[in-house]
Formats: sequence, structure tokens, C-alpha cells
Amino acid sequence: MKIKVIAFGCLTDILGKDMMELEDVSNTDLLKSKLYAKYPDLKRRKYKIAVNQQIISEDISLDENSEVVLLPPFAGG
Amino acid sequence: MSSQKKKNKVFIEGAINPAFIADSIAKHSSKTSIGAHTIFLGQVRNDMNDGKTVQAIEYSAYNEMAENEFHKIREAAFAQYELTCMHIYHSLGKVRAGEISMFVFVSSKHRNDAFIACREIIEQIKANVPIWGKEIFDDDTYVWKQNNS
Repeated sequence: MKIKVIAFGCLTDILGKDMMELEDVSNTDLLKSKLYAKYPDLKRRKYKIAVNQQIISEDISLDENSEVVLLPPFAGG
Repeated sequence: MSSQKKKNKVFIEGAINPAFIADSIAKHSSKTSIGAHTIFLGQVRNDMNDGKTVQAIEYSAYNEMAENEFHKIREAAFAQYELTCMHIYHSLGKVRAGEISMFVFVSSKHRNDAFIACREIIEQIKANVPIWGKEIFDDDTYVWKQNNS
């Protein structure tokens, strides 16, 4: 199962891109640990995860239709 | 009605033209129950950082979620305050220092609701709408914009 992950703002600098696909991530905790293994700098950044446009506060399961987005602090205006 | 409201287009590519703001004001002359307009304009500031000056901010957004958040802000403002109408516009892409990047326009019968609602809407946008800005310096380096609380 492939999950598409989209990043915005300063996180695109850490990831080096704004979109990636990850294999075998069935929940958001697993997603985080995979991302931290690949991008250790991400661990020190403040960000939120949105799944299907809802910001999540605890681990939730993912399927291949999930839209997973990494959101650094907002800076509109 | 609310599905129609949802279609309101908030994002504008590039800077918001002052003529567009003037036009928006003129369009309200037919709404004669309005007694007070409050307008907030956000302008890109030439902040200094390490001896370098910000030339422009390049805005990006998580569009789908941003549109939903704008809609929620709008609905909450109408529910809470006595408003005749309101419009929110925000730039995407590059806006140079001195140009307008946000335009919030709130109209009411009386000044109090227009003032309070406008302030509240701006705070909600800054806190809840997924928008980011890359502050680009004169030497083409950049930092990511951070909002003060």
C-alpha cells in the first residue's frame, strides 16, 4: 500500500520536495517514525498532520485513499 | 445558500490591486442598509534580517483546506455578529514589499459589529488557515515567514 504525503512551507526544505510516496504505512505513528528515520531534522520542527483535511491529534490508521499533509505553523496575512 | 457562499473565491494570484479594493467599495452603494464598513489591508513589509531586506513574500496554501477554513470563519462571523456582508481576499504567489496581500471587508448596520468582527476574522485567518509565506531577500535567499501572536 502506497501513501501520498504532501508537505508545505519550511518542511519542503527539510524533505527536499513537496510530495512523496511511502510504502507500508498503515497509521500516522508509523508514518512519523519512517519520516524521522529518513529526515531527522523533521523531529525538531513544529508541525501538524492533516488526514483528509482534518488535523489529527492522535494516531489514526491510513489507507491508500488517505490524503496526508504535513503542516508547519501557519503564516497567512 | 451556504453552498453558494462556499464558492466565494478568496485567493488572488499576486498582489491585490488598490483599484479592485475601490471597486469593491463602490459595489456596496446599492446595499443601503449598510451603515458601517471596516476594511483591513495587510501590506508586505520590508523587514530586515541579518542586514538583508525583504523584497517580496511568496505565498502558498493548502488550497482545499484553506477554502474550507475560510468558509468556517465566514459562517462563524455571520452567526456571531450582525453583518450585512463580508469579503475576504488573500494573495497567492509573489507579492512585493509595499503591495497588498490581504483584504478583509466587513459591512454592518453599525460600526461596533463591523469593527469587532473584522478583528476577529483576521485573527482567525492567521491562526487557522493553512497559508505560508517565503520572505525573499534582495540576494534571492529566503526565510519562512512567522506570524506573531
